[in-house]
Amino acid sequence: MDKRNLVKIHNWLWEIPRTYRADMKVPARVYASEKMLDSILGDRSLEQLVNVATLPGVRKYAIAMPDVHEGYGFPIGGVAAVDEQEGVISPGGIGYDINCGVRLLRSRKSLDEVKSVLPKLAHSIAREVPSGVGRGGKALFKGADLDRVLSDGARRIVELGDGVAADLDAIESGGRIEPADPKLVSVHAKERGQDQLGTIGSGNHFVEVDVVDKILDEAEASRFGIASGQIVVLIHTGSRGLGHQVATDFIREMTAAMPRYKISVPDRELACAPISSTEGQHYLQAMAAAANFAFANRQLITAGIRRAWRWEFGEDEPLDIIYDVAHNVAKTEEHQLDGTKTKLIVHRKGATRAFPGQPVLIPGSMGTASYLLVGAEAAMRETFGSTCHGAGRVMSRMRAKREINGEELRERLANMGIIAEAASTKGLVEEAPEAYKDIDAVVDIVQHAGIAKKVARLRPVAVVKG
Amino acid sequence: MRVIARTQQDLFAEALRGLMDLVKGEGVQNDEVRAQVQVTAPDATALLIDFLNEVLTRCHIRREVYGRVVFPSMSAVALEAELEGHPVASLGEDVKAVTYHEADVREDNGVWSTMLVFDV
Repeated sequence: MDKRNLVKIHNWLWEIPRTYRADMKVPARVYASEKMLDSILGDRSLEQLVNVATLPGVRKYAIAMPDVHEGYGFPIGGVAAVDEQEGVISPGGIGYDINCGVRLLRSRKSLDEVKSVLPKLAHSIAREVPSGVGRGGKALFKGADLDRVLSDGARRIVELGDGVAADLDAIESGGRIEPADPKLVSVHAKERGQDQLGTIGSGNHFVEVDVVDKILDEAEASRFGIASGQIVVLIHTGSRGLGHQVATDFIREMTAAMPRYKISVPDRELACAPISSTEGQHYLQAMAAAANFAFANRQLITAGIRRAWRWEFGEDEPLDIIYDVAHNVAKTEEHQLDGTKTKLIVHRKGATRAFPGQPVLIPGSMGTASYLLVGAEAAMRETFGSTCHGAGRVMSRMRAKREINGEELRERLANMGIIAEAASTKGLVEEAPEAYKDIDAVVDIVQHAGIAKKVARLRPVAVVKG
Repeated sequence: MRVIARTQQDLFAEALRGLMDLVKGEGVQNDEVRAQVQVTAPDATALLIDFLNEVLTRCHIRREVYGRVVFPSMSAVALEAELEGHPVASLGEDVKAVTYHEADVREDNGVWSTMLVFDV
């Protein structure tokens, strides 16, 4: 595919018409500047988007955000809405890390007030919140205890004393997605997850202490309780091994089931089943349970960060949740289609729900900015209430390890005033800033396109990761 | 990872060896562990991916790595495997899943091959 296959809708939106390939059921659309589009065409993400546009029951458009990059089956940074009656559910449209997501905490402290204790604070957070390959958490959840977490998500953790009721009001869907059924989560998945609650894991997951670098919308910033110079804490992680095992289990199950439903897909990772089928319903219930596990994980991580915070600043210094939002999940939502309210299953894989007025959290890479955005009206008309989720990789982890020197990176981060508390140099190198797109350009595009609005730019001052 | 072998069994054994090289961490212990795995799948590609995922799951849950494998039976759609390995103190690369992305088990002129892409 090259640029000639795309029709320019406006400066920030391009369309691949249905005529591009005979099996497309809807057109595909990508939000990008011309420069960003050149970069996107460097991998196979738009061919993958075209594949998504062939799925049974897909409606309106298959959509790619400016941070789109090649994934397994679906591109990362993709949105696909399917009709609840006629459509299919595809685990690949959610991703292996079910409810990978972001939570933002607000402190009352300024950078000047925390600067002197930042190294100690980062170390305390690293001690309270385990990270890295195979690192288990402090609590073991088994049997009925784990099932309660899978059913009730963050609510269960608050019931157990780690958090307050107000926390739940600041989490997407109150920290619990329905229709979760723990019985549909395999024994293997439960065994992988039983010691992982309260842990970050590895890869691009982190806890980051940020300073509010720039306010870009005073009214919204005030509504979210933040001001320039304020310290906030960003958490980025998901459902750990449990979510991965649920995805693996159901991709396998749906691969076997597709011939029964006479479904064929252009890529095995798009394995799917009708939403109304037993397999489709079972996946939705298991996925919701894994999503609840992820909400619970971020709630327990929050508890660990609050303990570390209190040790440094005392019992009366709160860390309140601004918001917690998933960027790998499928949800049942009502959207206008041809003037009619229609129930759809919206797959968001590396894409964030962005309903008008809702906070949207966009994590960057170490050494670059992160953003707090707010959802906008155009998202409801154009993207099923969705926007981007991050910077998007431009360099594979293997390539980053080959090309980037770990010690040089640590020194560079230190020179930028960023404390890096990493379990391994390898983990640090894989997530170096140059492995990602320019996040400022990504959020500029979604703002120009009107599918989200910038509220504040956040700059990292300490990063804790695997 | 590109895997090439003379037979289907060798291809599966080599693929497992490659996966274990990645996940093998530090502190390999002397104790020997054994496991048996049975897998069925719609075709040879799915059989390989499902087999590797089955073993990977055991690695994560039991903190074990498996250096030897014998296949008492194998067809294009089913296999039995006997694994031998060792407990490890920690796993190495965090391979979270073996994906179907680009996987395509095929035999051309007596050479079996496939690409494997791991979610890390």
